[in-house]
Amino acid sequence: MRIILAALLFSLAAQAKETVRIAFIGPLTGGNSAVGLGGRNSADLAVKLHNAGPGSKYQYELVVLDDECKPDAGVQMATKAGSDRSIVAGVTHYCSVVAMATVDTFHRFGLPTIVWGAVLPDITYGHDFKEIHRVNGTMINQNETNAKFMAAQGYKKFAVIHDTTDYGKGHDKYFTKFITESGGQIVGDFGVTADQQDFTAELTQIKALSPQALYFGGLTPIGVRIRSQMDKLGLNAQFDGTSGIVNDDFIKALGPLAESVLAFREGAPAEKLPGGRKFLEEYGKQGYSNPPEAYGPFAFVAADLLMQTIEKTGPDRRKIIAGLAQVKDFDSIVGKITFDDHGQNTVPVITKYVAQDGKWVLWEESEYARGSRKLRGK
Amino acid sequence: MRKGLLAAAAVLAVSLALREDDFALLLLTRVLIVILACLGLNVQFGYAGVVNFAGATFFGVGGYTAAVLARSTAVPHLFILLIGGAAAALAGTILVVPVLRTRGHYAALVTIAFALLFRTFFEVNDALGGPQGLKLPELRIGPVHFNDAIEIGSFFASFYLKYIVLSLLLAALGFAFVLRLERSFIGVALDCIRLDEIAAASFGVDVARWKIVAFTLGNFLIGLAGALSAFMVGFIAPDNYSFGESLIFVSILLLGGLGNPWGLSLASAVVLLLPEKLQVIAEYRFLLFAAVVILILLFRPAGLLPRPLRRLT
Amino acid sequence: MSIIAQYVMNGAMLGMMYALVAVGFTLFFGVLDVIQFAHGDVLAAGAFAALAVWLGLTRLGVASPALLLALVVVAATVATALLGAAVARFLVLPLKGAPQLNVLLVTLMMGTVLRESIRLFYPGGSQPQLFPALLPTSSVALGEFNLRIDNVILLAAGTVLIAGTSLLVTRTRLGLAIRAVAQDEETARTMGVDFRRIVLLTFALGSALAAFAGVMDGLYYNEIFFGMGLLLGVIGFAAAIIGGLGNLYGAILGGFFFAALQTIGAVALPFASAYKDVFAFGVVIALMALRPKGLIGERTSERV
Repeated sequence: MRIILAALLFSLAAQAKETVRIAFIGPLTGGNSAVGLGGRNSADLAVKLHNAGPGSKYQYELVVLDDECKPDAGVQMATKAGSDRSIVAGVTHYCSVVAMATVDTFHRFGLPTIVWGAVLPDITYGHDFKEIHRVNGTMINQNETNAKFMAAQGYKKFAVIHDTTDYGKGHDKYFTKFITESGGQIVGDFGVTADQQDFTAELTQIKALSPQALYFGGLTPIGVRIRSQMDKLGLNAQFDGTSGIVNDDFIKALGPLAESVLAFREGAPAEKLPGGRKFLEEYGKQGYSNPPEAYGPFAFVAADLLMQTIEKTGPDRRKIIAGLAQVKDFDSIVGKITFDDHGQNTVPVITKYVAQDGKWVLWEESEYARGSRKLRGK
Repeated sequence: MRKGLLAAAAVLAVSLALREDDFALLLLTRVLIVILACLGLNVQFGYAGVVNFAGATFFGVGGYTAAVLARSTAVPHLFILLIGGAAAALAGTILVVPVLRTRGHYAALVTIAFALLFRTFFEVNDALGGPQGLKLPELRIGPVHFNDAIEIGSFFASFYLKYIVLSLLLAALGFAFVLRLERSFIGVALDCIRLDEIAAASFGVDVARWKIVAFTLGNFLIGLAGALSAFMVGFIAPDNYSFGESLIFVSILLLGGLGNPWGLSLASAVVLLLPEKLQVIAEYRFLLFAAVVILILLFRPAGLLPRPLRRLT
Repeated sequence: MSIIAQYVMNGAMLGMMYALVAVGFTLFFGVLDVIQFAHGDVLAAGAFAALAVWLGLTRLGVASPALLLALVVVAATVATALLGAAVARFLVLPLKGAPQLNVLLVTLMMGTVLRESIRLFYPGGSQPQLFPALLPTSSVALGEFNLRIDNVILLAAGTVLIAGTSLLVTRTRLGLAIRAVAQDEETARTMGVDFRRIVLLTFALGSALAAFAGVMDGLYYNEIFFGMGLLLGVIGFAAAIIGGLGNLYGAILGGFFFAALQTIGAVALPFASAYKDVFAFGVVIALMALRPKGLIGERTSERV
């Protein structure tokens, strides 16, 4: 009897809590849906953990919206979230072009948002709006680290393949800038469309230029194709990738060919931090059908940070914006987070990865760093 | 005519009732803009029988024209909308020769190739913003600033209400124009051409001329809608104008009933609002959407509202 | 010199895949005057069926690459043949008499259904999947030219397959029936040809060719992707049209022609290689203006 009563009281208490809604916006359909679904699941996990955890003042509900990675659909979803007064904040966008398009909309509605994946610098730095924040670093940080690292490893001649989306073009621009500053040389630069299948024509030209390394700015699908077609053509250059390929599928789709591929990602490696291990553990327990992918942890952190802020400020859009402005040295599973006056996280940890024995291994812990294995093309 | 006024009045009444709901008004504006574009496609497909699988491309030409002009010139925005339509019509002239010379599937390929070509062109060309696209300034017509909310005394309404009024006006004009066209001798000529080109030619109908007229007029309406859409969204990028979007336009036309402006209006509403209602099933919604379209086409091959027979009085 | 050989080899592989897809389009058009736009996605479904069978067999402990390859090809072929026939039976034939456009749209939507289904229901289907290398991978390097044995085998197999299809259509009773239906359905019916059966068989045949193109794609690139059929379908369609619909040799010619355009666009032109599709499709449009019925035109005549 007493147990039932306790349970009843408990559920009453749970019901008495005010429900607070936050939006998740990302690509759930189309070519980028794998990352989008990983982000969605991670944000969902953050909400579930909060609701199950003790001592939270509010009950949270995640409203999931699909931006299809298209600007007009993104603006539509941003309007939906912004005009719905019961939604107090948003975890928004993986695709840079969509994030750029919706900045004005969020500002108009005064909806505080945290970008969880888009890497274009202008998303936070292209305006003075107080609504927009971002937990992940920009492609500037990533490429600076990448270029310095490659120069230090003794690479001088690079060929570049990038996709012609904003992601690929941006990476191309910043990598070219930083590597030439570090004394490297770009011998060939090729733009390809994001759905291209065959790269043999480009790669044959690259082979004739005999670069030591091939820098690739783009996402997993064409990254896989380029790496495997390099092998077909006998092009033995070091593959140097970006955050877009740091996921299990890249390695799974390539098998042994993935060996020695380099890639760089913003944020501290989740699996190395105590919170990160817990994240991966809990994620596994939920039985989601997709892995969190590279940006899942950021979506998790963005949602978590929002909820922790709401706990302090209450579910009011303006107060949340004020609360987010105060975020400093916030401990998260991707490292410390501090927002500057543009809402950009200024503690961008960049992690270096190398593919070794079918896994992404931290560079510092790899056999390549120890010297027992060698990168290609040197 | 009376039906049309009633419908317009109903749309206005609904938008006034929803005046504070930005999202509902945004959706309604999109429906009106898509109706305008599909009216253009209807002149091409429905009347003249000229296939066009590059609807989104011409929509994009209008949008890009608007973006470039509004960003870098002082041309009044109302003219920019019209120039957007004219630019789309002009872009269409590139295709006039191949479209006139080919039939059926061959003509379909010409427009599909054009759609893919232009999509890549928008993306690769940095002068047009490349993949990152372009931002548009606020739409201004005379003293009206379209992005400011409306506040008159205690009356408050979302800024989208202005877009609704403008797009309703343009859609209604387009609608009246297309209905008038259908009833004119041009409409009869176009019907003849669609049903039997050889017979039409032997009756003295100038097949090439009327096909060009229909194709150009259609592209103008599509481009006009594209320019308006670009202003409303405030941002354009190549991803908005993919081949998939062109297919959505064609689906609307067929689902509504080829050649019937009322049908395409109904279908525009269904096709734009259904995926939105399906947001709850997130990643599964396109699968379901495609299945629904297949079922409609199987069981109502002539569309939801088939075109009534022409009555010659 | 050797670098040119490499480009020719790359182009030939592409051309063979396009040709196999285009032959399907042209066969379908021949018997029913329709475009089956789900063809590319049927191909993708075949490739994924092949992968699933491979995974199953290796789990069962089958290790011989030759046996695996044979079973994988058979499975993919059967799967797509059934799928193709089902598309004909349930989507295309019921719409006989409806405008051509309806068939086009229905099959396009069917393509979306197939594509989205692979993405959502194949485990991990939203990301590219590794396709096993089942052919010997040794290669001979001749300067810049890297000649791979597996590519040579694939090209040879493709050639045999296309030649076989051509023989089937021109030399057998089934082929005779297909050609009879293609030429005049009514007359063929009165001569005792079972129209429905021939249509279904033709769709099965064309789709089986697509399965081979799908497996070839997988073996060549070692990777398959849920969206792989979209572009292959459009290009195969373009190839069939360039060649002239309904003409087997036209489709083959069109396939290699398109591959040549893409290769030239990427290497021989002064502007950035990202413009290569702009170039290829631009040439297609110009070509349609010059030869509105394709390179090897359909034999139709209309006199006024």
